[in-house]
Amino acid sequence: MPEIHVVRKDNRHLYESYFDPYFRLRHNIYVKQRKWMALDRPDGREIDQFDTEDAVYLFCIDDGQLIGAMRAVPTLSPTLMSDIFPYLNIRGQIRRPDVYELSRIFVIPERRGEHAGPRVEMLLLTAIMEYGVSIGLTGFTIVLESWWLPRFQRYGWKAHPLGLPQTIDGMSVLAVLVDCDDATWMSLCQQIGLTEPTLTWRGLLAIDRLALPDISTLHPTSVQPAR
Amino acid sequence: MQNLEPYWGRRALDFVDAIEASKTTACVISQFERMIGHFGFHAYIMAGIPTSGQSLEKLTIASGWPAEWFELYSRENLSAVDPIPRHCFNTLNPFEWRDAPYDREHDQPAHRVMTRARDFRFHEGFCIPIHYDDATGAISIAGERPDLDPEIKSALHLMSVFTYGRLRTLSRPNPVTTDRRLSATEAEVLRWAARGKTAWETSRILHISERNVRWHLEEAQRKMMTKNKTATVAMAIVNREILL
Repeated sequence: MPEIHVVRKDNRHLYESYFDPYFRLRHNIYVKQRKWMALDRPDGREIDQFDTEDAVYLFCIDDGQLIGAMRAVPTLSPTLMSDIFPYLNIRGQIRRPDVYELSRIFVIPERRGEHAGPRVEMLLLTAIMEYGVSIGLTGFTIVLESWWLPRFQRYGWKAHPLGLPQTIDGMSVLAVLVDCDDATWMSLCQQIGLTEPTLTWRGLLAIDRLALPDISTLHPTSVQPAR
Repeated sequence: MQNLEPYWGRRALDFVDAIEASKTTACVISQFERMIGHFGFHAYIMAGIPTSGQSLEKLTIASGWPAEWFELYSRENLSAVDPIPRHCFNTLNPFEWRDAPYDREHDQPAHRVMTRARDFRFHEGFCIPIHYDDATGAISIAGERPDLDPEIKSALHLMSVFTYGRLRTLSRPNPVTTDRRLSATEAEVLRWAARGKTAWETSRILHISERNVRWHLEEAQRKMMTKNKTATVAMAIVNREILL
């Protein structure tokens, strides 16, 4: 099964070799495939102003290859929502130590929708909850494409809208605040059949982590069928 | 795009809060009907889009269509030719009915659905596709002269998606009374699939070949007329063919 690694400034040196492929993958996915041309750079890497040393990355690594990733940026620093899309949030800016903003969530095309083992995107969504619960976060803000909302609801992510969906470059997008709590993490683990935490914290042993609830006795629940 | 006074934005957020706090489907539905009525819509449906062999009735989460139209639509299996559900497979974004493409000259069945819908005062409509990995659904609302101002469409989009989500949460999957069609081995293989086992893992557990496992999965899929393993498992659970 793929491993999900927590990468932050404290252990980034252990993952240097992954960063170049990581930024190139982002370029392939967001610029070449999805045509977010504002992100285009001549060097074929997609790096933006939010890739600061405070950013936390989850790298999904399988057999030494990066197959998916996610970025979390503290909301005390500038974020996509605060700086680029402030009009998506009419509830008032969220700047809190216990809320991070998620962005650049992707799985490489050849590993999407797999049926062998847990799906990589579900693993990532589960792993970020584990990360949040471990370090005491209570929520995540996200600017996302609106069609994700029903999926979130189905996975048990509790998303609270912060404003109306708006069409940006032909795609409906909106801002949400998602709860980060034990129950959501446990429910996701149950859905994908995880009975132990999934995150790898290499080089991060000095970080204070909260105890996770025990999931070793969880049995897979019935999948909520599509209706 | 930017509004100085996001009036409908605030109304929509209040609506979502109220829906999330509602404890019964009846309560959610009455708020939804009042809300769309306010914008000039008198009919709606929230349902999965039937693929071959599925009935619309079983896939319906909420229907505010006139009974006569629902009956006609199901009986004549109009979802197979209706350009609105068809367009849902091609777009991630909500759209107005008039923007769902079809060939007006050559696609007579599609044109007929749109014309007959007018008999029920469905002159204009708005549709929000719902995409899951293994299924596509839609929320479709219609009226004579509804308000389709861009900001109102955004508000409708948000409110409808949360209504749909809340109704799904509140309504437990209803046991469908169909005959058990799966063989004991097919059911066994699906039970392991439901627990996340791959075909190879299942073959080890049941002491049969991986090829054999795949064959049983294929058979189950064929019988249930589903598209992939996930959908087969889901359908088997809904139909109580397997219990977890």
